Amino acid sequence: MAAVHDHDIAHAHDHHPTGLMRWLTSTNHKDIGTMYLWFSFIMFLTGGVMALTIRAELFQPGLQIVNPEFFNQLTTMHGLVMIFGAIMPAFVGFANWQVPMMIGAPDMAFARMNNWSFWLLPPAALLLLGSFFAPGGAPAGGWTIYPPLSVQMGMGMDMAIFAIHILGASSIMGSINIITTILNMRAPGMTLMKMPMFVWTWLITAYLLVLVMPVLAGAVTMLLTDRNFGTNFFNAAGGGDPVMFQHIFWFFGHPEVYIMILPAFGIVSEIIPTFSRKPLFGYSSMVYATASIAILSCIVWAHHMFTAGMPVTGQLFFMYATMLIAVPTGVKVFNWTATMWRGSMSFETPMLFAIGFIFLFTLGGFSGVVCAIVPIDIQVQDTYYVIAHFHYVLVSGALFAIFGGAYYWLPKWTGHMYDETLGKWHFWLSMFFFNLAFFVQHFLGLAGMPRRIPDYALQFADFNMISTIGAFGFGLSQLLFLYVVLKCIRGGAKSPAKSWEGATSLEWTLPSPPPYHSFETPPVIR
Amino acid sequence: MKDDNKQPPKGTWLQIAKAVFWAFFGVRKQSDLDSDASSLTPAQVIIGGLIGAALFVMSLIIVVKIVT
Repeated sequence: MAAVHDHDIAHAHDHHPTGLMRWLTSTNHKDIGTMYLWFSFIMFLTGGVMALTIRAELFQPGLQIVNPEFFNQLTTMHGLVMIFGAIMPAFVGFANWQVPMMIGAPDMAFARMNNWSFWLLPPAALLLLGSFFAPGGAPAGGWTIYPPLSVQMGMGMDMAIFAIHILGASSIMGSINIITTILNMRAPGMTLMKMPMFVWTWLITAYLLVLVMPVLAGAVTMLLTDRNFGTNFFNAAGGGDPVMFQHIFWFFGHPEVYIMILPAFGIVSEIIPTFSRKPLFGYSSMVYATASIAILSCIVWAHHMFTAGMPVTGQLFFMYATMLIAVPTGVKVFNWTATMWRGSMSFETPMLFAIGFIFLFTLGGFSGVVCAIVPIDIQVQDTYYVIAHFHYVLVSGALFAIFGGAYYWLPKWTGHMYDETLGKWHFWLSMFFFNLAFFVQHFLGLAGMPRRIPDYALQFADFNMISTIGAFGFGLSQLLFLYVVLKCIRGGAKSPAKSWEGATSLEWTLPSPPPYHSFETPPVIR
Repeated sequence: MKDDNKQPPKGTWLQIAKAVFWAFFGVRKQSDLDSDASSLTPAQVIIGGLIGAALFVMSLIIVVKIVT
């Protein structure tokens, strides 16, 4: 994409508060993006410590480290923290940094609302993590907070419900901001079909968020009134229906899965063309496939509930609809592969993570199709097979794309190149230990090991030991990422405006690091 | 920036149906896409998409009814 702009660096209006007030009162998309990314990394480490405690307990059969009540709190909070605290804010951080720069805008449309969207997160995180110290401890009924368990728990559950309300409000405001920015603030000549793929995926994700976050808010509000105000939405003894919660929850929960993967598709769709030195193959079909996945994601929710009891007609409907999602997802995988075909490829760290993403996300997608088949799902539901499936989609899918995107744009954000050798080490260690931790969980699940248990039968011992070693290796490898990022922020080789030879989108026309206000004069897209 | 095209909309029902069908499949030829972008309005695409989704759900239900 060719662009011209006459940005004068010396003229950059960066009169803004310094020190703590810079961050507290910031209305700048880059500062807010940075805060989102650091927040999500802190939550990632927090959720990671919970995961390692879980894996340490499962290293051997028997109870060694934590008691079963605390184990249940850890599995629940690990899920909530990673989904709402780590993955989602990370992508919003990317959107804040990249969307204005990629469409040629000076900042986000609603700059003050942007500040509020971010600053709602720390109190929500404090509420969520503070529930560990409430009488009765943190929520312990699984991240899906199904009644009746969630109705019976102590006040930690109320704290988690309020945290989810606040996080939902933050997400909705962030989405409105992103939609408005994309639809109204594109540079002259930047038509919708000229937008970078990352911007497209975030536009569609933002619509999904606006659609489903209020549904989650409704579900948890009903839980709240069931718990505290004597209503009986989900209490069978009072005429309510616990299965109704599952339907409402998963009407949010399944699109949520795509909310966490569509921006990852967008990041990978930026990285692959850059390092293949070719334009993205089938750009328009990528846009259509993203829209198709978003629509289909809203009519498949009950595949999470095949064993909760439903007529065979319902089972077949949701099975067919779910399997059809493999079609547009397959379109995307083939397009990425075709982009690399006969490209002049090089394998810097972002590209390694992108290729790792395609390989392992496809594996996770396939095990998803396996789970979609009703008779098989009845066998594997609530086993480690499901754990393996969604960690392939969310860790080697969403998280690998986040790492890839971070390495890809770090030179732009900081003005310095990161340490390529250490970046490659980070990738290969993550790749090896991730598979060590999670591939064996497929075997555990097929052999019948249930999820969310602190103890297990002796025949599962060896694979659990391997999985725990992998998990600790993976967790420790992420400290290397922290080191690489800190080193890159502090210094290193200067990055040119265009950090990568094959990069084409608008942000690479700005100096590295970019000025405080991205495009004061809109660039003209030819 | 709202006006990507200055021409009045002239999309026919058949054009909308085609665009929605290919969107559901997830593939679209570049030349067809360009003609869609110049002749279809967002409202047409959204209404077409909703009708398409309803038809898709109904066809799935019919298939399920046939096999059960």
